[in-house]
Amino acid sequence: MTPTPIRLTLADLEACFEGVIPSIISTADADGLPNISYLSHVAMVDDRHVALSNQFFAKTAANIRLNPHAMLLLVDARNSAQYRLELVFAHTLEAGPLFDHIALQIDASSAQVGMAGIMKLRNLDVFRVTSIAAIPSQVQTAETRGPKRNRLTAAARIAEAIAAEADADGIIDAMLERLRTEFGFEHGLLLQLYEERNQLITIGSMGYVPSGIGSDIPVDEGVIGAAAAGGRLVKLSDMSRIRRFGAAVRGSSADENRTRAIPLPGMPDAMSQIAVPLIAAGVVRGVLFLESRDRIAFTGEDEAALAMIASQAAMALALSEKLSLETEPQRPVRVQPPTSEKTVQVVHHRFDDSVFVDGDYVIKGVAGRLLASMLEQHKESGRLEFTNREIRLDAALKLPDFKDNLETRLLLLRRRLDEKRLPIRLARLGRGRIGLLIEGQLRLSKDVV
Amino acid sequence: MFGDEIAGFIESPVMQIIGSSNAARRPEIGRAVGAWTSTGSDTINLVTSAWQWPETVANLRENGRIAVTFARPSDYVSYQLKGQATIRPAEPDEVERSSQYIVAIVSTQMRLGMLPELIMPVLSNRDPMLITMRVASVFVQTPGSRAGERIWSPTP
Repeated sequence: MTPTPIRLTLADLEACFEGVIPSIISTADADGLPNISYLSHVAMVDDRHVALSNQFFAKTAANIRLNPHAMLLLVDARNSAQYRLELVFAHTLEAGPLFDHIALQIDASSAQVGMAGIMKLRNLDVFRVTSIAAIPSQVQTAETRGPKRNRLTAAARIAEAIAAEADADGIIDAMLERLRTEFGFEHGLLLQLYEERNQLITIGSMGYVPSGIGSDIPVDEGVIGAAAAGGRLVKLSDMSRIRRFGAAVRGSSADENRTRAIPLPGMPDAMSQIAVPLIAAGVVRGVLFLESRDRIAFTGEDEAALAMIASQAAMALALSEKLSLETEPQRPVRVQPPTSEKTVQVVHHRFDDSVFVDGDYVIKGVAGRLLASMLEQHKESGRLEFTNREIRLDAALKLPDFKDNLETRLLLLRRRLDEKRLPIRLARLGRGRIGLLIEGQLRLSKDVV
Repeated sequence: MFGDEIAGFIESPVMQIIGSSNAARRPEIGRAVGAWTSTGSDTINLVTSAWQWPETVANLRENGRIAVTFARPSDYVSYQLKGQATIRPAEPDEVERSSQYIVAIVSTQMRLGMLPELIMPVLSNRDPMLITMRVASVFVQTPGSRAGERIWSPTP
C-alpha cells in the first residue's frame, strides 16, 4: 500500500460510520485460511478503537479469537472513497452506553426495513486500529462538503434564543425557527412525551402542511419512539432502500373526523432522519425530530449540537411549566364577548374526551377535557378568562398529577384551534393566564357513553 | 461442479469481495470486478486490479489461500466460496468480460437508487489480473439463521 501523504485518523473517516455503505471485514483462522464478509454496523469508540456488530457471522467471531488480526474496509458515504484499516481484536462488549447506543440504532433501522427483532444486537467486538490507508480510485472521488460549518457557534446562538423566551410557545418557535436559519434544517417536529398515555404528541412543527400539531405516536414506534424509549439519539442516513410505509396515506380532515386521530406529518421521500430526546432532570420529556431529502444530512457534529439544543429546550420547557403556575398580575387585556350570532356547536365525547367543533375533530384526551371544561364554565357563568393555577387545582379535570404538562397541553390546544381556523380560540393573556374566544353562540353537548 | 444456481449467481451483477492472508496470517481485503465459472469444473475465474489491491495480488501469488463473497445488492443474498487460487495478468478477452461486469453492476446499483459517481470509485480493472480459483466449499452468507451453513463441497 502506498503511504498516504496525510496521516489519516478515525475522526477523518466520520462519514464511513453512517451505516450507509456496508463495510467489509476479513479475518483468518489459525492456519491463515481467510474469511470475508460484509458488516452491518461499525462504530467509532475513540480515536484508536472501532466496534463491530457481528450478529450473524460466527466464523469471523471464531477467527479473531484464534488470530486477533483483522482487516476492515470502510467506504465514505459521501463520495465512496475507500479506506483499509488494520485491526487487532481487543475485547467484546455486551452492555454499557456504547452497546445501548448501537443496539438502538440497529433496532430503529431494522424496524424500518421490516426486520424488527431479526437484527437483535448480541455483542460488539472492539478492535484497536493499527493503521489507516486510503485505497486509490480510478475516478476522482467527489469533493466532500465545503468549508466546515461552525455548529458550536450556531448551537450557542440557538441556546441563547431559547433562554430568552419565557413560555412554551416562544421556546418551541425559537428553537425550530433558529434550526432553520442557523442550521438550514427545514422540516422538523417537537413532540412532548405524555407518560400516562405512553405517547408522544406533536406540539411544534416546521415545514409541514398541515402542521400535524396534536398528532401522536406510541413510544417505541419509529425513530421518534425509539429515541424517547431509549433516551438516546437515533439517526438514519440513507433511507433509499427502506420501504416507505404509509406514504400513500396522508390523512385528510375527513379522515381525522372519522378516526379521531391527527396524522403525523412526514416527508414521503426523506433520505435522512434524526430524533433527539429532550432530557431534563434525568427524565425524557420529549423528542426533537428533523428530516431531510439529502443523504447523510446529519453529521456527527450535528448530533452533538442538537443534543445540546435539545437539553436547553428541555430545561426551558420544564421551567416554563413551573413559572406558568405563578399568574402574572392582571393585564389590561380584556376578552371580548362574542359578537357573531352564528351558533357554534361543540360536542364532547366522554369516552375518549374527544371534542368536535361544528363537526370538525379538534383533539382528545386531557387537552380535550381542558377545552370542554373551559367551555362548560363559560356556559354556566359566562367566564372567558382562566389561570393555569386554577385549572391545575380543578379536581374535575383529573389531570395526571405526577407531571401535568399543563402549559404545553394548552399550547397544543391553542395551536390546534388556530390551525383548524375554528370559531373557538384560546389566547395567552400573559404568563399563566388564558382567554377563551368564541366567535358565535356556544351550544355544548355531551354524549355520555 | 457446485450447481447451476451458484454458478448463475456469481455471473450475475453481484458485488464481489476477496479475502486472502499473508505468511504472517494477516488477513487482507480486495475486490473483484467480474467472475465466471469454467464449464464442468470446480473452478471459477475472477478479475481484480493489481493497482487497487496490490496486497491481495501478492498474497495470492505467495500462498493462494482465498475466500470470495458474492452479495446481491437488492436483497443481500450472499454466498462465500473458499478454496485455492493462482494468479496471472489478465488477457484482453478477460478484461473485456470484466468491463461488461462493471457496466452491469453499475446499472444494477443505479436501479436501486445509487448515484453512478458513488459506485465507480470502488470498481477498477486497472492493471488487471486473472484469479483462477479451485473451489473447495460454498457457504450461505445471507444475514439470517442459515448464515455460515456449508451448502457444497467437492465429493471425495
